[in-house]
Amino acid sequence: MRLLLLEDDPILGEGLRDFLQHEGHVVDWVVRLLDLERVRDTPFDVLLVDWQLPDGSGLNWVKSLRDVGDATPAIMMTARDLLEDRIRGLDTGVDDYLVKPFRPEELAARIRAVRRRAVGSASSRLVFGKMEVDLATKVVSVAGVPAELTVREWSLIEALALRAGQFVSKHDLERLFRRGDDSDAASNALEVHVHNLRRKLGREAIETVRGRGYRLAT
Amino acid sequence: MTEVRPKSIQSRLSWLLVGVALAWGLSISATIWLVGRSQVDRMLDYTLLEAAEILYGLLNFDLAQLPLQGAAAMASPYVHEERLVWQVIGPDGRVRLQSHRAPSTPLTPTLRLGFFDVNAKIGDPGAAASGAGNGADYRVFGMPLSDARQTLYVAHFGVDRQHANLVAIQAAAAAVLLSGLLGAFWLRSRVRKELTPLNELSASVAVYDPLNNAATLIAPSRAELFPLRQAVYDFGTRLARRVANERAFTAHAAHALRTPLAGMDAQLAAALRECAPEQRGRLERTREAASRLHNVVSALLTLFRSGVDLDLQPVDVGELVHQLPIEGVEVRVTRGATVVADLNLLAAALLNLLDNSVRHGARAVQVQAHGDPGQERIVLHDDGPGIPAGKARLLQDALDAQDYAQHMGLGLMLADLIARAHHGRLRILPAQVGLKIEFSLRARPGTSPVA
Repeated sequence: MRLLLLEDDPILGEGLRDFLQHEGHVVDWVVRLLDLERVRDTPFDVLLVDWQLPDGSGLNWVKSLRDVGDATPAIMMTARDLLEDRIRGLDTGVDDYLVKPFRPEELAARIRAVRRRAVGSASSRLVFGKMEVDLATKVVSVAGVPAELTVREWSLIEALALRAGQFVSKHDLERLFRRGDDSDAASNALEVHVHNLRRKLGREAIETVRGRGYRLAT
Repeated sequence: MTEVRPKSIQSRLSWLLVGVALAWGLSISATIWLVGRSQVDRMLDYTLLEAAEILYGLLNFDLAQLPLQGAAAMASPYVHEERLVWQVIGPDGRVRLQSHRAPSTPLTPTLRLGFFDVNAKIGDPGAAASGAGNGADYRVFGMPLSDARQTLYVAHFGVDRQHANLVAIQAAAAAVLLSGLLGAFWLRSRVRKELTPLNELSASVAVYDPLNNAATLIAPSRAELFPLRQAVYDFGTRLARRVANERAFTAHAAHALRTPLAGMDAQLAAALRECAPEQRGRLERTREAASRLHNVVSALLTLFRSGVDLDLQPVDVGELVHQLPIEGVEVRVTRGATVVADLNLLAAALLNLLDNSVRHGARAVQVQAHGDPGQERIVLHDDGPGIPAGKARLLQDALDAQDYAQHMGLGLMLADLIARAHHGRLRILPAQVGLKIEFSLRARPGTSPVA
C-alpha cells in the first residue's frame, strides 16, 4: 500500500517509515502540513496522521479532506488519550484512532483493517477467480497453491487487489508502489513486474486495457 | 477510619424542643401549684365561711329547741359522704350537737374562733392558722352562737381540700404539658419542613459535576441557603480550573513522554527487521525495556490524572505476572486467582514491587493472589534481606499517612497509590524471612477511583 505518514517527531517518523517499508508498504513521510503540497497528487491507500503538528492540526487537515469528498482511510496517531479526544477524532472523520505509544505491528494491522473496510471486505482474504490474496499474511495463492512473490510484486498485486474491479492507470500504479528514492525506477519496471506476476499467477490474472491501465481479473 | 456521624440538626432541635416543652410544662405547673393552691384554699375558705353563716342562721332560729343537752349527731336523710362537718360545743367544752360524720370530740380542746387548722391525730390545732389545710386533718371555722355560750365549728376535711387542690393542679399541669408537647411535635414537624430545602440542596450538590459547564444547582427556597450554594459554585469553579490546568499539563506531559516512547519502539521494531541474527536478542531485550517504560509511564499518567475512570476488569494474576518483563529474580505465582483491577495499573504496581525485590537482592518472589470478592489481595513474599521490625513499622505508618517523602522510593509509593485507587491499601506483613507485602484491592466496576 502507499501510505502517507504525517508525523513531526523525527525518531518516530523514521522508525515507522522503515518498519512499514519492511512490511512492504510504500511510505511518504511528511513532517509538516506545508510539505503535503509535494504529495498532493499521489493516490494514497491510507493516511497516518499525527494530531499536533508544528504548523497546525492534523485532525483539521483530515476534516478538510472529508469536506471535499476525499474518503481515503485515515488513522490518527496521537498522545491524546482522553475519551473526548477519541470521540472528537472519530467524529471528525478519521477511521481509526491509535494512542501513542503503540506497537508498529498494531499500526500495520490497523492499516490493513481500515483499507479492508474501505474496499468493503470483512475478511483479509480477497478472491479473484482462482486467485486468493491474503492482505494479512501477504500470501497470494492460485487454486490453493501459494505463489512466491517479491516485495515489489506483492505491492503491485496488493494495490490492484485493493482497487478490485477498477482499472488503475500505469501512472497511478507506479506511484502506488514505487518509493521516492527508488533505484528501480526504470520506465519499464512496471511492465517487468507485471510480466513476472503473470508468469507466476497466470496470464489471465492481470488484465490490461490500452489507455485505461491494469486490473485483477475476476 | 470510620467517621462518627454527628446528630442531625433535626434530631437536635427535636430533642431540644421536647426538653423545652417539658421544662416549660413543669415550671408552669409549679407556678399553678403555688398560685392555684392559695386561690383554691381561699375559695374553699369562703365556702366554709358561707356554710358557717348558713348554719349559724338556722341554729339561732330556734336555739332553745335544739337538743343541746348531750352529744347528738344529726340524722342524715340519706347516706352520703359528708364533705362538710360541724359541731356545736357547749360552755363545758363538750360536743352538744354535730353533723353525722363530725368527730364526737371537739375539733379543738380550747375555744378558737375564725379559721384554723386542726390535726385530729394529735388533737392539737395546726400551727399555721392561715394554712390551706396542707397536712392538717381539718380546716375549721369557729364562731359563737347567738347566746354566746355555744360555739359553732364548721370544718372541711383536710384530705378533701388537698384533693381539690391536687385535681386542679393536675388538670392545669396536664393541659400545659399536653399543649407543650403538642407544640414540640408541631415544631419538630415544622423544623423538618424547614430543613427540606437544605436536604434538596444537598441532593443537588451530591450530583453536581463542576467539570460539566452545563451543570447547575437547584435554586434554594430559603435565603440562608444562597451563600451555601454560592460557596459550592466558587469551590466548583476553583476545582474545575485546577482540573483543567492538570489536564492541560497531563496532555503536554503525555505528548512529551509518549511520542519518544513510540519512536523508540518503532525504531527498535524496524531495527529488528534489519539486524543481524546475533543482535536480535539484545534488540528484543531493549524493546522489552522500552515496553516496560511505556507501561509505567502510561500507568503514571493515568494515576495522576483527575477525572479518569479505572478500566476495571477481571485480571488473572498468574497470567499477568507471567507477562511482566522481570529479570534477575525467579517469580513463583499461584495460578488461577482472578482479581478485579485496572490491568495496566495493576501491572505497573506489581512491576514496581517486583523491581523493588530485585533491587534489594531477592532471588525469588512468591506471589499469591486471593480473589475472594471484597477481600481481593495479592501477597508478594521475597527471600531478600527484608527490613527490621522497627523500620517496617515506620514504613507502614508512612504508607498509612501517605507520607511518601521520607521513607520510601517511587516503587512503593506508586504501588500504594494504585492500591488506593482501587480502594485498597499496601501493607507490610510480618515475615521470618524477606519482605512480605500485601496489595489489597476492593474496587468494583462502577466505583470511582480514590483520589
